[in-house]
Amino acid sequence: MSILLAILVDGVAYGMILFLISVGLSVTMGLMRVINLAHGGFALIGGALAHLALIRLGLPWAVAAGLGVLGTVAVAVVLERAFYRHIYGRPELEQVLATVGLAFLMIASVNLALGSSLLALPAPEWMRGSVDLGVRTLPVHRVVVLAAGAAIALALWALVERSRFGIRLRAAVDDARAASALGIDTGRVYAAAFALGAGLAALGGILGAELLPIEAYYPLRYLVLFLFVVAVGGMGSIAGSLAAALALGVLDTAARYLVPDFGTIFFYLGTMAILAVRPRGLLGRA
Amino acid sequence: MRLALDLALLAGALGLMWIVPDQLAFLTRVLIMILLVLSLDLVVGFAGIATLGQAAMFGSGAYAAALFALHVSAEPLSGLVVGMAAAAGVAFVSGLALLRAKALTLLVLTIAVAEVLQEVANQADTVTGGADGLGGYLMAPLLGAEFDLWGRTGYLYALGVLALCFAFARRLAGSPLGLALRGIREAPDRMHALGTPVYWRLVTVYTLAGGLAGAAGALSAQTTELVSPAAFDFSLSAEALIMLILGGTGRLYGAILGTVLFMAVHHFAAAVDPFNWLFAIGALVLAVVFLAPAGLVSLADRWVRR
Amino acid sequence: MPRRPLRTAALAAVGIVVGWSALAETVRIGVIAPFSGPFARYGEQFQQAVETYVALNGDDPGGHQVEWLWRDSGGPDPGRAKALARELIVSDGVDYLAGFTFTPNAMAVAPLITQAEIPTVIFNAATSTITEASPFFVRASHTLAQLAAPAARHAHGEGARKVVTAVTDYAPGHNAEEAFTAAFEAEGGEVLDRIRMPLKTTDFAPFVQRIKDSGADAVFVFLPVGPPTFAFVKAYNDNALADAGITFYGTGETDETTLEALGDAALGLTTLYHYSAAHDSPENAAFQAKLAELHPGAIANFMSVGAYDGAHLLWTMIEAAGGSDPEAAIEAVEGLEWTSPRGPLKLDPETRHVTQNVYVRRVERDAETGRLVNREVETLPDQPDWGLVGD
Repeated sequence: MSILLAILVDGVAYGMILFLISVGLSVTMGLMRVINLAHGGFALIGGALAHLALIRLGLPWAVAAGLGVLGTVAVAVVLERAFYRHIYGRPELEQVLATVGLAFLMIASVNLALGSSLLALPAPEWMRGSVDLGVRTLPVHRVVVLAAGAAIALALWALVERSRFGIRLRAAVDDARAASALGIDTGRVYAAAFALGAGLAALGGILGAELLPIEAYYPLRYLVLFLFVVAVGGMGSIAGSLAAALALGVLDTAARYLVPDFGTIFFYLGTMAILAVRPRGLLGRA
Repeated sequence: MRLALDLALLAGALGLMWIVPDQLAFLTRVLIMILLVLSLDLVVGFAGIATLGQAAMFGSGAYAAALFALHVSAEPLSGLVVGMAAAAGVAFVSGLALLRAKALTLLVLTIAVAEVLQEVANQADTVTGGADGLGGYLMAPLLGAEFDLWGRTGYLYALGVLALCFAFARRLAGSPLGLALRGIREAPDRMHALGTPVYWRLVTVYTLAGGLAGAAGALSAQTTELVSPAAFDFSLSAEALIMLILGGTGRLYGAILGTVLFMAVHHFAAAVDPFNWLFAIGALVLAVVFLAPAGLVSLADRWVRR
Repeated sequence: MPRRPLRTAALAAVGIVVGWSALAETVRIGVIAPFSGPFARYGEQFQQAVETYVALNGDDPGGHQVEWLWRDSGGPDPGRAKALARELIVSDGVDYLAGFTFTPNAMAVAPLITQAEIPTVIFNAATSTITEASPFFVRASHTLAQLAAPAARHAHGEGARKVVTAVTDYAPGHNAEEAFTAAFEAEGGEVLDRIRMPLKTTDFAPFVQRIKDSGADAVFVFLPVGPPTFAFVKAYNDNALADAGITFYGTGETDETTLEALGDAALGLTTLYHYSAAHDSPENAAFQAKLAELHPGAIANFMSVGAYDGAHLLWTMIEAAGGSDPEAAIEAVEGLEWTSPRGPLKLDPETRHVTQNVYVRRVERDAETGRLVNREVETLPDQPDWGLVGD
C-alpha cells in the first residue's frame, strides 16, 4: 500500500514537471498547428538568461526567473515576426526542417556564449528543505512545482477556453480569413499566443532545472519527452496535456519502483498502449 | 535521360576512387547514409508516413549482420541478406502496430519502437555487448576481395549495394504499388473508397523500405566491424529525415543530394571549426526552407527546365 | 603499400631545409575525440591539455617535429571513429593515434591499429578490456574497476557493512557495480540491493527512496558525468539520505565541471577518484597555472589529465622511437614511471594501463577562492586496473 502511495506522490510530482516543460509546446503545436521542434530552445534561452541574472549579476532567484521568462518572451516575439510567421500553414515536413534548423542555431549560440557545461540555477534557500507527507517526504521544490503547475493549468484553461483572447485565437487558427473579416488582428493574436508558448517553455525550463538541468543541448536531449507528452495528451488540449503529463509521470515512476531493470522499455510500451487505445491522445480533438 | 543521369552518377562515384582515394572511408559512410535516407524516402516521400524511427530498422539490420558474422559466417553477402531480412521483419511487425496511426501519434510511436530496441540492445549485454558495442568479428573476403586498409573493397561493396537498392526503389516507385502509394498520400480517403487496401499497402512499403534500411545497417556493421546501441539512436533517425527534406522528398535523387550536402557540410565545417559547425548546418537548413522549400532537387529541376 | 606517402614527402622537405645534420622527422599524431554535439567539451579539454603539455615540455620530443591532426568523432559512433582512423592512417599517414572518449569508438579501431601497427593512446575510454583488444593500445586514464574496488575496501574500512549499489544501467555502470560488489563481499560485507537505473532517467526520486528503505548504511554510486549525475545528487540531498545515515560513496560524480552547477548540494559528498583539481603538488600547480595562462577559464578535471598524461606517453614514445618503429615505441612506455599532476603513475607492462593512486575526497568550499573543491583526505596508493588484474 505504501509503495502505491509513494508511486502516486512521486509520479504526480514528476508528472507536473513534465507538464510545465511541455505545456508551451501544446500551445504552439496544438493550438497554432506549428510543429515546433525548437520548443526546448525557448526553455534553454530562459534558463540561460536566468542563469546569467542569478550567477553573473547576483540577483535574487525570483527576479532572475522573471527576467529569464520575460527575456524569452522578447526573443520569441522577434522570432515570431522574423521567422515563424513565414512557416504557418506550410507543409509539416517544411516546418520540421525549419524549426530543427532554428534549434540548431539556438544550441550553437548558447554553446558559443556560455559553453556546453551545466548552467547552474541554484534554488533559493526556502525551496531547499523537504516536507513530510506521512507516506513520503517531498522536497519543497516539488511542492512549489506542483502548485505552479496547478496554477498554470487553471490560468491557461481560463485563458484559452473562457477569455476573449482564447476565442480569437481559436477563430484565427480555424479560419484566418473569416477571423480578420470579423475585425480580429490575426497577426497580433498569433504573436501573443506564440509568446505565451515560449514564455511557458522558459518557465518550465527554469522550474524543472532541478531535474533536467539547463545546458546547450537541452532542446534536442529532451525533445522526445516533449513530443510524448503532447501526443499522449492530444493536440490542442491543455487539460489533455496535464492528464498526459501526470499519467506518464506516474507510469514512469511506477516502472522505476517496480521494474527498474526494464524501466525504459516499460515506459515506452505503456505509452504505445495508451496511444493504441486512444490514437488522438487522451483528450485530443477529433 | 534518367538512365543517363543514373549512369553518370555511378561513373562519378567510381571515379572518386581515383580522384580522392584517401577519402574512401568517409565516402563509404556517405553511401551507407544515402541508402538509409533512400529507404526513408520510400516511407515519407512516397507513402507519406511521418516517421522519426527509421533507425529501428537500421539498427536491427546492423545487429543481425554483426551477430551473424560473429556466430555463423563472416561471409558478407549472406550477412547482408540476413540483416535485410531481420530489418524487414522488424518493420513488418512494428508496421502492423503503427500504421493505423497518423500525424504526431505516428511520429511518437515510431520513436518509441526505436527507443525500445535501443534499450534491448543496451540491456541484453550477453548477446549484444551492451553499451560497449558488439565487435570481435572480422569480415571474410567479399567474392575473393579482402577488406583492405584503404577501404576500397568496402567502398565498392557499399556502392554496388546502393546501386541495386536504388534501382529497386526506382522500379517500386513506378510499379502499381508505387502509384497506389502516391494516391494514398494525396487522398487517402478517396483511395480507401476506391477499394484500395490502404493499410496493407502502407505495411508493404514500410516492410520493403525497412529491408533497405536494414541493408544500410548491415553495411555499416560489416565495414565498421562493430555495432553499438547508437545504431538505434533518435538522432540518427532525425538526421536522416533532415537530409531527406533538404534534398527533397519523393524524388529518390533528393536522398542522394540531401545526404551528400549535409554530410559534406558537416565534414568540412567540422574540420574548420568543430565547435561551431552547428551554425553552418542551421544556416543551410534555414536557407533551404526559405529559398527552396521543395528541397534542393527542385532547384535542379528549375535549372533543367530553363 | 605506400602507407605514409605524405610523411615521406614531409621528411624529404625537412631534410632539404634542415640539411643532413639532424635525424629529425615529422611525426604525426591523429586525435579522435568529440568536438561537436553534447560531448564537445571533452574534445576541447583534450586539446587544451595537450597544448598545456607541449607548452611545458617543448614541441620537439627527441628533436622530432610533431604535427597534431584533430578529428571530430561526435558522440559514441564507432562507424565514424573507424572511418576517421582509417583516413588518418592511410591518407594522412599518422604515426600515432590518440584520444577516444567512448569505449565503442576505441574498440572499433582495434583491428585497424593492429593491422597498421599504430600505437594508440587512450585519453579516456574506461572499459578494462580495451587494452586487450590490440597490443598497440596504451591507456592514460582510468578504469571503473580501478576505482570501484578500492571504493569497496575503503567503505568497509570505514565501517560500512550493508550497502546498496546504484549505477546507471549500461556497460560502464555494470563494470563498476560488479567490481564494487566483488571487492565488498571479499571484505565480508553484504550488498543488500543492486539498483540499475535506466540511462535516460531524469527523475531519481524512486531510486533514492528505494535506497532509503533498504536499511543500508552506505550507497555506492556510478553515473555518467552531466545531467544524470546532477539530478541524482539533487535527489540524494532532497530526500535527506545523509541524515538517514546512508553514506554516499561515488566516483566521478563530483567532477569539476559538474561541481559548480551542483552547488551546496554537493557539500560533504565522498568520492574515490584518481584526480582532483585540488591535488596539492608542484606538478599539478604547474599544469593548472599553464592551463589557466593558455586558456583562461578552462576547467582541469579527469579528462584534461587523461590527455595531459597521454601526451606524456606520446612524447616518451616519440623520443624513443620517432615515428617509424611502433614496437619500440610501445616498449619504451611499458613500465614507465613518472609523476603526473594527479600523482605518481606507472604504466603496467601487463595491462598497458596506468597504475595510480586513488584518492578519497570530500567536497568542501575552498576558504580562499570560495569555490567548491574535491579535497583529498586519504590516499590509496598504487591501484592497478582491478578489472584485468583480478582475472
